[in-house]
Amino acid sequence: MMRRLAGSAIVLSALLVIPCASYAQYGTGKALPAGKKPATDTGKSAPAPVHDLSGVWMMRNPPGANRGYTNFTYTDPKTDPPALTAWGEEKFKEAKDSNGGAYTLDQTNDPVLTRCYPPGTPRVYFHPYPFEFVKGGKFVLQVFEYDHTLRRIYTDGRSLPTDPDPSWMGYSVGHWDGPTTFVVDTVGFNEKTWLDRLGHAHSEQLHVTERFRRVDRDHLQLDITMVDPKALAKPWTTTFYYENRPDWELGEISCSGDYLDFDKFESFSFKNKSEGTK
Amino acid sequence: MKIRSLLVFAAVALVLAFSGVMFAHHGTAAYDTQNSLTFKGTVTEFRFINPHCQIYFDVKNDKGELEHWQGELTAPNKLARAGWTKHSLNPGDQITITGFAGKYGGHSLWIRKLIGPGGQSMQLFED
Repeated sequence: MMRRLAGSAIVLSALLVIPCASYAQYGTGKALPAGKKPATDTGKSAPAPVHDLSGVWMMRNPPGANRGYTNFTYTDPKTDPPALTAWGEEKFKEAKDSNGGAYTLDQTNDPVLTRCYPPGTPRVYFHPYPFEFVKGGKFVLQVFEYDHTLRRIYTDGRSLPTDPDPSWMGYSVGHWDGPTTFVVDTVGFNEKTWLDRLGHAHSEQLHVTERFRRVDRDHLQLDITMVDPKALAKPWTTTFYYENRPDWELGEISCSGDYLDFDKFESFSFKNKSEGTK
Repeated sequence: MKIRSLLVFAAVALVLAFSGVMFAHHGTAAYDTQNSLTFKGTVTEFRFINPHCQIYFDVKNDKGELEHWQGELTAPNKLARAGWTKHSLNPGDQITITGFAGKYGGHSLWIRKLIGPGGQSMQLFED
């Protein structure tokens, strides 16, 4: 029995290095048989409504994209890492991320996992939960299922502040560029957040530009550009892909409520503990 | 040998099914992704909680002794979108569970496949 399992485990691990070329599905959701597309990717989507980002959006990056949830960073860290300044490089060396086989939960210094700090912008996009927009008077709220994270995006035509107070998610203004592209600019960050889940750092000089392009009724593409002369030697850009989920409703997730007591739910994952059972 | 080919086929299917989400997990470091285990066991408790739902189950080992195991699933919001509720598994349910073994002692799994009490493969991720 064990030999057979070991044999398949060897096959399994060998196959892990093969890119998911046979994966016709878009992104990292439920496995569909090869060749089958998810329900929203019927090729029969309607045109995007004008000036409308309503609905629940869930990240579904193309397979093999080497970004988003699978690599916890914006571009392939092996082939396309960000160009960091000396300061950015030094800060990155201090990070002990807990993703992809790096550090365990008791070893990491990830501010979100250890302190339930707000994730910051655009790191919040790496937490694999949906978001939606809610329209207010002079603003649009971007509401994330992850930890009730909220961004207030002012749409009354105001300019970005020239000397903003530092905050976790930044100060955002947004406007429509044509009928189906919503552009958001954000400044005013504190330095307590990571840019991604690997621990790339940013400074208070960070300026994030997001272009939300609703390419049809069911699909959103998000171009993210990060500019930070103190941390990044060049702007860092990527595109994330989202699908509309008309039947979903956002639920509750509380980081401080449920995640901080690691030893209660994941003591088996601590390198320095030997408990395994409840 | 037929059984071997079946296992290889299952391994291939598993890789194709899950390679997209393989490393999308904050606690990957704690699991040995080269070591997949499969058990037939009995549920003793099911916790439908954030950040990860937990299945506690008992397994009889080769010596006939009872072992207590813990398996980890994704978040309850995601399982709910895959059709689960807090009642989807109950103490006494017979399950077949496959997952990657925890590295640091204890009997723990990162669940990759689950056959429920009705004999059906249970969907483990939202669409």
